[in-house]
Amino acid sequence: MSSDTQGAVGQSVLRREDDYLLRGQGRFVDDLPTPLNTLHLAFVLSPYAHARITSIDTSAALALDGVVDVLTGADLAAMVKPIAAQIELPGYSFNTRDVLAVDEVRFAGEAVAVVVAESQYLAEDGIELVEVDYEPLPAVTDIHEATDPAAPQVNPTVPGNVYFEGRFATEGVAAGFDTAAHVISEDFNSNRVTAVPIEPRGCLAVPEQPANLVFYSSTQIHHLLRTALAEFLDVAESNLRVVVPDVGGGFGIKAALYPEEFVCAALALRLRRPVKWIQDRYGALLTDVHARDNHYRVEAAIDDDGIVLALRAEIRTNGGAYSALPFGCTLETTGGARMIVGPYRITEYEYTATAVATHTAPVLAYRGVAQPVCFMAIEGIMDRIARRLGLDPAEVRLRNMVPTAELPWTNIVGVRYDTGSFVESLEMAMEMANYDEFRASQAQGRLVDGKYRGIGICSFTEVSGTGAPGWRARGLTRLPGFDSGTVKVEPTGKVTAFVSHAHSGQGHFTTFAQVVADALGARLEDVTVVEGDTAAGPYGTNTFASRSAVTGGGALIRASEKARLKLARIAAFMLESTPEDIVVSDGRMHVAGVPSRALSFQEVAETAYAMNTSDLPEGESFGIEETDFYDPPLVTMANATHIAQVAVDAADGTVDIEGYVVVHDCGRVINPMIVDGQVMGGVAQGIGEALMEEFVYDPDGGVRTATLMDYLLPSSVDVPNYQIAHIESPSIDTVGGFKGVGEGGLIGAVAALVNAVADALSDLDVNVNTKPLRPALLSRLIREAGG
Amino acid sequence: MTDEVEVTVTVNGRTRQSRVEPRRLLVDYLRHDLGLTGAHIGCEQGVCGACTVLLDGRTARSCLHFAVTVDGSDIRTVEDLADLDELHPIQEMFHQKHALQCGFCTPGFLLTAVELLERTADPDEATIREALMNNVCRCTGYANIVDAVAEAAVELRRGHGA
Amino acid sequence: MKPAPFSFVAPESLGEVVRTLAEHGDDAQILAGGQSLVPLMNLRLARPEVVVSINRCHELDYIRLADDRLVIGALVRQIDAETSPLVQAECPLLAKALPHVGLPATRNRGTVCGSLAHCDPLAELPAVALALEAEVVLTNVAGERRVPAHDFFVAEMTTCIEPGEVVSAVTFARQDPGERSAVGEVSNGGHVFPVGGVALRWASSDGICTMARIAAFGVGSVAQRLGDAERALVGSDVGPAAIAAAVAAARSEVDPTGDIHADADYRRHLVGVLLERGLLEGSVHD
Ligand SMILES: Cc1cc2nc3c(=O)[nH]c(=O)nc-3n(C[C@@H](O)[C@H](O)[C@H](O)COP(=O)(O)OP(=O)(O)OC[C@H]3O[C@@H](n4cnc5c(N)ncnc54)[C@H](O)[C@@H]3O)c2cc1C
Ligand code: FES
Ligand code: FES
Repeated sequence: MSSDTQGAVGQSVLRREDDYLLRGQGRFVDDLPTPLNTLHLAFVLSPYAHARITSIDTSAALALDGVVDVLTGADLAAMVKPIAAQIELPGYSFNTRDVLAVDEVRFAGEAVAVVVAESQYLAEDGIELVEVDYEPLPAVTDIHEATDPAAPQVNPTVPGNVYFEGRFATEGVAAGFDTAAHVISEDFNSNRVTAVPIEPRGCLAVPEQPANLVFYSSTQIHHLLRTALAEFLDVAESNLRVVVPDVGGGFGIKAALYPEEFVCAALALRLRRPVKWIQDRYGALLTDVHARDNHYRVEAAIDDDGIVLALRAEIRTNGGAYSALPFGCTLETTGGARMIVGPYRITEYEYTATAVATHTAPVLAYRGVAQPVCFMAIEGIMDRIARRLGLDPAEVRLRNMVPTAELPWTNIVGVRYDTGSFVESLEMAMEMANYDEFRASQAQGRLVDGKYRGIGICSFTEVSGTGAPGWRARGLTRLPGFDSGTVKVEPTGKVTAFVSHAHSGQGHFTTFAQVVADALGARLEDVTVVEGDTAAGPYGTNTFASRSAVTGGGALIRASEKARLKLARIAAFMLESTPEDIVVSDGRMHVAGVPSRALSFQEVAETAYAMNTSDLPEGESFGIEETDFYDPPLVTMANATHIAQVAVDAADGTVDIEGYVVVHDCGRVINPMIVDGQVMGGVAQGIGEALMEEFVYDPDGGVRTATLMDYLLPSSVDVPNYQIAHIESPSIDTVGGFKGVGEGGLIGAVAALVNAVADALSDLDVNVNTKPLRPALLSRLIREAGG
Repeated sequence: MTDEVEVTVTVNGRTRQSRVEPRRLLVDYLRHDLGLTGAHIGCEQGVCGACTVLLDGRTARSCLHFAVTVDGSDIRTVEDLADLDELHPIQEMFHQKHALQCGFCTPGFLLTAVELLERTADPDEATIREALMNNVCRCTGYANIVDAVAEAAVELRRGHGA
Repeated sequence: MKPAPFSFVAPESLGEVVRTLAEHGDDAQILAGGQSLVPLMNLRLARPEVVVSINRCHELDYIRLADDRLVIGALVRQIDAETSPLVQAECPLLAKALPHVGLPATRNRGTVCGSLAHCDPLAELPAVALALEAEVVLTNVAGERRVPAHDFFVAEMTTCIEPGEVVSAVTFARQDPGERSAVGEVSNGGHVFPVGGVALRWASSDGICTMARIAAFGVGSVAQRLGDAERALVGSDVGPAAIAAAVAAARSEVDPTGDIHADADYRRHLVGVLLERGLLEGSVHD
């Protein structure tokens, strides 16, 4: 038996989800029709980063017409257990969070009370009338100050404000540094940012009979959310159904489990009424998880050829005030430490990686996780090696990269790179960017017409599709790695495919249909994908960390193959042939070599569903509905090179991006159009992170960036046209050969831009080791250097 | 003092008469009173443009207007662009060019594009990018939106010429 | 983020507006385009009890020449001023500045007078008003007074408007046909306010500068006229030395503050950069 349907996979199939979204008929959580008796929530947020709550007077709010209830931390504590991320790493300081602060607030924006009212307007009227007395306490927001013995203690179970300190060293590090011809070292500072999906978060909890709660949430992790609701609300998981409607962007921040979700579900169960909460932008900026408040100190021991003999990294990441669920505050810490080695042959490596507690919003996943910063660091080091030795930065990279011929290759922390194109992607990107010509033109000086011109490279590996062993290696023992698919051939021969993912704009309804059509031998238009509903299809780990193509694609291929086998068995019986001789293609089955002896999916399905007079083969069960699970390897490694070309205005410090090239390798490409979309969107976010975005706290922890007037996002005039090309090195370790693509755009852009700006200013001998690179900063560097 | 006020507006060609609280934002009125959920709320600070509608033919932030302020006005929302069978040429180009991912910002971009192409039949790329500053997209990186608008301009010119 | 309750009045004449203001005193606030007021109300940072909308006051929707000045009524939207042939002919500096004000959608609704009344330190139009020697017409039940721009802007978000008064119009000096003008600014990102900028106009006769009006924004709590820089130019040939002198004067007469978007030194530096650029690139027409 075989399937010779040629290729839905690999085609730029236009998206099925577009039509209704374009008509304004998307169903985002705030668009869902709500029962008339729905109640609305608004949260009272602490303006202080650190304070004791001395009293809360809810009487005035309760007296307001339309306010149904006002609850404080103590009230909620009786309904929801303290929530906690489960991390099993030696020395990790376990900590818990009350869904509403009980006695003490630990970051500006932490909720202290919730108002339940008949409308959102009334709920917000209510929060103004809740009188909270705070006794402000000293706060610490800075990752270095936090570990000063005199610093205020953030969390009672996190001594010295250190959540976790991880260490690793290979034996020959010291020797590497001893024998090195040069040691290059640098400090890299990364600004705190947050993802800012344009749709803020929200949820709607609708109690249904009997004792069932349907919970709509703009989450990326519906199964994990359902399990957590069951656990922390102490309700039967089987009585909970989590549904993900359309989601307006997630980028990782919606792959966290938030207090508001637990509060909303608890109140719906208690009040026996639908309860809705829609976040506003102010709340989003203050309470969504943040990212990238990191410091890296990196030292590289090199020989005279620029070969890295040994690498040392000292990494400090700000975990915020609590370890957020489900990945915990060590996500960036262990991530950066393990990923920084990238595409390079690093044979001796040592790291210290520390997650620090501060009075700031919890930090968790944002597109790229640690990688934008660890590659800013290692790629910054590559450029510094080049400058020190008078080599070209591209040459230094090429000398240190693992060549394709040596793949599969296992890196120093045990991650296997099965296939890839480190060298090829760099060479191709250089060609597309006219790299050599650009370098030649720089020989006359980088300052032309009032602008310093520079070029920057980021060659990197992109962690994707992490399986259970990958999470275990990072202490996440309660995080599964698998996803699941169920493929159902309906009586009419149409196909419904269920997958344990939830989209937030990635086009899953289209791409997964492509995967199933090929694996099953169905016609693309006959396949419908269902996801984002815990009541439809089996359990899975859901959608974050560039997983869906790898884990969902893999699971669907396996389930499709099972379904195809069953189709073939029944068809063989009906055609008096053998299953091995049945060819499945294009929604039909025929006997190999005899196209006229054929059946449609519908004819076979009618037999399977006992809707005709044919018999099923002996022992065959009814229906055609097959499920399988797929846990990918430790990590599935994609790779890419970005090259950015910039002009820095000598007078005002503004940066123009004059060229932008990406060569990306995510293994087998399902839909090139969608892959390009992921890359472009990621690059734009990386431009934001490198050049303008920054979440700012006062030294005392007050928030300075509470609106989008102050937290800046890139616009259409801030981004260039992108030149994108693909290399396909199908994974040999995963089912389907796919590698993830969700994050690379952002990862590569940050380092490419920082390096390009540094290159532009390199004649001035200024050190660019921080971001965002706003005009004021660059202008100061230029002026200080006398440029 | 804050009693409900009568408002009459024409929305997508239909006259609507309602009593609303003065503070009711136009976006809430459209979404929750009229059921036109195509305009989305992304910030309520005027920055993101997800709530964009055409107010008397020009783009406007429906989060920065009270329903009462626009009494007597003509409002067009994204729901008015396509007919049952066919998408508007701009919508069609957004589809062809993959100019949307999550689609949350999309209704706003479409109306911005309608306004631009009504004023400027043949905009160059810089003009398109300037106009698109009206809206923020966090998913697409803008390039495909710029392309879609440029192609839609061609399509619309062809349509007029025919 | 929903506004607090208020009551709403939408008078149809200027007379009715000022009577309504008189009746409610401090509790009332004018709503023009709403592009600055409504964000503040949504955040509940502004909570007027009575909102007096001038959006039905069509008599305030005019752009005309009167007494040798360009007059813009309080209901004129920024987009209409930007595209007005009269504005482009008589006050090209204003026409050049308007495309920098916010975004297309905010210009479609925001008014010229509203921007002046709002008095944001980063706003372009207050600086343009200084450079164009604007007079703000303030009307109340008793009549009207005309306040020169330099007295009108007091501090960040503070003008000399008294309770009961409305800005009914603003008048600008007409620019001479040979005058050159420019607006320059820098921002950290496309969507929102700049971190600082400069608006300037100057005239020359036989190669000698006869008049210069320069104003900066984002360099303090309120837009600022740069008199020393102007004096450095008038009588000069606007050559490199004069420009350098004007730049130095501008940098020393501003006293900017730093914030999360830019530090004070940068803003001081930027004033000079933009002034120099304006002087080199300033044009008669846009
Ligand atoms: C996303 C965004 C970006 C923006 N970017 C910029 C920018 O770059 N530069 C810039 O300058 N502005 C910018 N703005 C603000 C600008 O759009 C506003 O139009 C302007 O500041 C206020 O004009 P308005 O007519 O909307 O006034 P409103 O918002 O209606 O009123 C503003 C204030 O002025 C008072 N007021 C208004 N009119 C009168 C009057 N006739 N008499 C007395 N008082 C009055 C009001 O009571 C209120 O206090 C931006 C706004 C947004 C939402
Ligand atoms: S919601 Fe109106 S501009 Fe963002
Ligand atoms: S498509 Fe998601 S914000 Fe634009």
